[in-house]
Amino acid sequence: MSSASVAEEPLLSMRGITKRFPGVVALQDVQLSLHAGEVLALMGENGAGKSTLMKILGGVTRPDEGEITVAGKAVEFSNVRDAKAQGIALIHQELMLASNLDITSNIFLGNEQRSGSLLRPLDRRRMKAQAEALLARVGLELPVTTLVSRLTAGQQQMVEIAKALSANARILIMDEPTSSLGSGESEQLFKIIHQLRANGIGIIYISHRMGEVMELSDRITVLRDGRYVSDLLRADASHDKIVGLMVGRALSNQYFPQKRELAAPTTRLVVEELELPGAPGAVSFSARKGEILGFAGLIGAGRTELMQAIFGVTPAKAGRMLLSEVRYAPKTPREAIDRGVYLAPEDRKHHGLVLRMSVAENSSLPNVATYARFGWLDRKTERRVADAGVKRLRTKTPSIKQAVGNLSGGNQQKVVLAKWLAMQPQILILDEPTRGIDVGAKAEIYQHMSELAGEGITILMVSSDLEEIMGMSDRVVVMHERRITGVLEGSALTQLAVAGLMTGRAHDVDSMAVAS
Amino acid sequence: MRRELGMFSALVAMCFALWLSNSDFLGASNVINTTRQVSMLGIFAIGIAFVIITGGIDLSIGSMVGLTGVIIARLTSTSTGGLGYPLWIGIVTALVVACLFGLIQGLLITRLRLQPFIVTLGGMLLLRGVSQTVVEGGVISMGQSPLLSLASGGLLKLGRDPLIPYPFLIFLSVAALGGYVLHFTVLGRYIYAIGGSRDAAEYSGINVKKVETLTYVISAGSAGIAGICYAAYIGQMSQQVGVAYELYAIAAAVLGGCSLRGGEGTIFGIVIGSAIMRVIDNGINMFQYKYSDADGIRRIWRLDPNWNWIIVGAVILAAVILDQLVHIFQAARAVREAGARKAGIAASSSANAEAAKRAETHAG
Repeated sequence: MSSASVAEEPLLSMRGITKRFPGVVALQDVQLSLHAGEVLALMGENGAGKSTLMKILGGVTRPDEGEITVAGKAVEFSNVRDAKAQGIALIHQELMLASNLDITSNIFLGNEQRSGSLLRPLDRRRMKAQAEALLARVGLELPVTTLVSRLTAGQQQMVEIAKALSANARILIMDEPTSSLGSGESEQLFKIIHQLRANGIGIIYISHRMGEVMELSDRITVLRDGRYVSDLLRADASHDKIVGLMVGRALSNQYFPQKRELAAPTTRLVVEELELPGAPGAVSFSARKGEILGFAGLIGAGRTELMQAIFGVTPAKAGRMLLSEVRYAPKTPREAIDRGVYLAPEDRKHHGLVLRMSVAENSSLPNVATYARFGWLDRKTERRVADAGVKRLRTKTPSIKQAVGNLSGGNQQKVVLAKWLAMQPQILILDEPTRGIDVGAKAEIYQHMSELAGEGITILMVSSDLEEIMGMSDRVVVMHERRITGVLEGSALTQLAVAGLMTGRAHDVDSMAVAS
Repeated sequence: MRRELGMFSALVAMCFALWLSNSDFLGASNVINTTRQVSMLGIFAIGIAFVIITGGIDLSIGSMVGLTGVIIARLTSTSTGGLGYPLWIGIVTALVVACLFGLIQGLLITRLRLQPFIVTLGGMLLLRGVSQTVVEGGVISMGQSPLLSLASGGLLKLGRDPLIPYPFLIFLSVAALGGYVLHFTVLGRYIYAIGGSRDAAEYSGINVKKVETLTYVISAGSAGIAGICYAAYIGQMSQQVGVAYELYAIAAAVLGGCSLRGGEGTIFGIVIGSAIMRVIDNGINMFQYKYSDADGIRRIWRLDPNWNWIIVGAVILAAVILDQLVHIFQAARAVREAGARKAGIAASSSANAEAAKRAETHAG
């Protein structure tokens, strides 16, 4: 399909796009083209300029230089409405739906069907009928009056797509659409994308997941450091080649560190019959000293809830935990921290960091009281500890006084880690440690995890990235619907086995599509 | 600090302009009186700043200012309606009531997860009603209470007026203590962290509920201290004392650089903000324009006192609008400068083709 359309006039063409922000040039003379009925993967590390380019295309920000043509006509967008009028729809990574409204209201939000002026009543019957037709198109079998707050992340994604279609989108931009989806929901999404492509819609697909990109895309455009690097047809692309273009050097596929030999296993944490809030069954497992214990599962499998119980955010309803053979029942994060159990949360921007505070202030937050004298802040010690953290994790920041909000995702995660490493961790819980982090920084985080485990720290790692689970874990606990469906290690630890247990269909693994 | 310094310059300019229009503005008695007013507002504006920096709000402090004065008058006055107890009993009772009520509000907000706006709105109305009940809808005079010398007295007598009124000394102590706690202690760090991200603070092991509750106690307690000063200053306590003062304090905090979203603000800023609020009030009385009319008769034009709220409201709006415009302008300038810097670099490398070629070679 793509090869045939190359000769045609592109549906979209962006040329010489330049965009400057305070202190940085986000985009420098970038080009991009998209044909009807084509899936274009836009690749690049975080900070390469993908998001900025897509914001320009979606009318969210205006470029300083450059031209955009849609179907051969030069266009200029001063706001989102202008872009929408040209049939461009942008689906953000964080979905932009009003959760207190139903599906129909969301689909037509800002585009309400009414007869005449703004004050005329809404034409509910027509909107409902159209919404039903749109849901059928995206394969969502739900009443259109369902509240969006009751939908899963995957279903909400479908509603976003239906919304884009309702506005007659010709160009659909999807920013990391699978980042919050389980693999079953991702499969459903891919099916819809194939369908949309067949209907002649041009799709720009942004993802860090190489497997998806190789499966879905017709062509790949790579950006690096705000510049256009190259275009590849999928046939010419390989995992290594794309990563090489993204980071500007050849990277071996194997960016996971060598697994360490575990010495005689010592049990550090025992979890017995732990009952999570709102869950039916109970959960039992144990973790050893110096091991990386992976937690695989779909979104909503209860992994985050389990970690929050272990960290004392939402205490378990019943059950027993032993930490180093001493009873452990934290009712607040403080109690967990005092026992050496630390959590780097999934949502690091809201739960892990105070974005407006500096690197130093964030690094010292859990610990600052211990080196205060009579409540007086000891800024000298604080600076020393923060400097050590920055050095140890090779955090890229102009200074430890820099506000954390100005750092990239990977460096923010390093600050979260530094905050805990300044203390003496027994157990480090990492919930989605590399979500939204670019390839280069990922490899560094993995290296640090491996070193920490080598020092005897027990790492509990929740991840929805199967590659990461396989690459990093010594053992893997698989969860499905808030129960543990299996604990795998050694030769039993295979992608197929994990993927099967994740969906609760251990014997039906063939139906699972596993990212290669 | 940008906001604080901007507001400081505005305050100085305002004072200068008022002095030009009416040289009495900087006369001893007006300066001392304005200082006293600024001090009394500043005391509880600093208190509410603790709440605002954690991202909360306290609407009850105006009523609290009134209630503490009313309690003191009722318990200690020797005039009609007073019970004639010793002064210290009245002061201690008033401060205990204030702190206890702050504690109750704080607990309701943190333990029951009620919204601060609603809880303190309820507190504001409730306390106002309690004041009214205590004075039985009337007025209790402080009579010849020794407390009155707290407001009128001070250090370094200058004729009848003290150069440094006692309320100003109290204000300085509160500001010093507030500045110390907020900027130099672990508690202060926690208060900013909670305002920046409540969840991140919680996940860092900070006892968020305890700290937040404490801020409401601090806020109510500071209103209690201010209430004592007002009782001494006014001398006639009724339920009308302290009406809308919470709004003055919030305005002072915002003018001084606090954000109602939390996480921002300094004690220096609150002090400047309080001064601006009171200088505007005073300026509306003092401003005058001397001219000669057609017949050559010298006349003086003054501001209509009915314009008071119009002017106060306009100043607050103007300040936040100006601050936002400066912010937008600075951001735009930073972008332009970045562009200019990078233009030189871009010219040296003929971007696209070469970059692509380089990447191909690397990848291959």
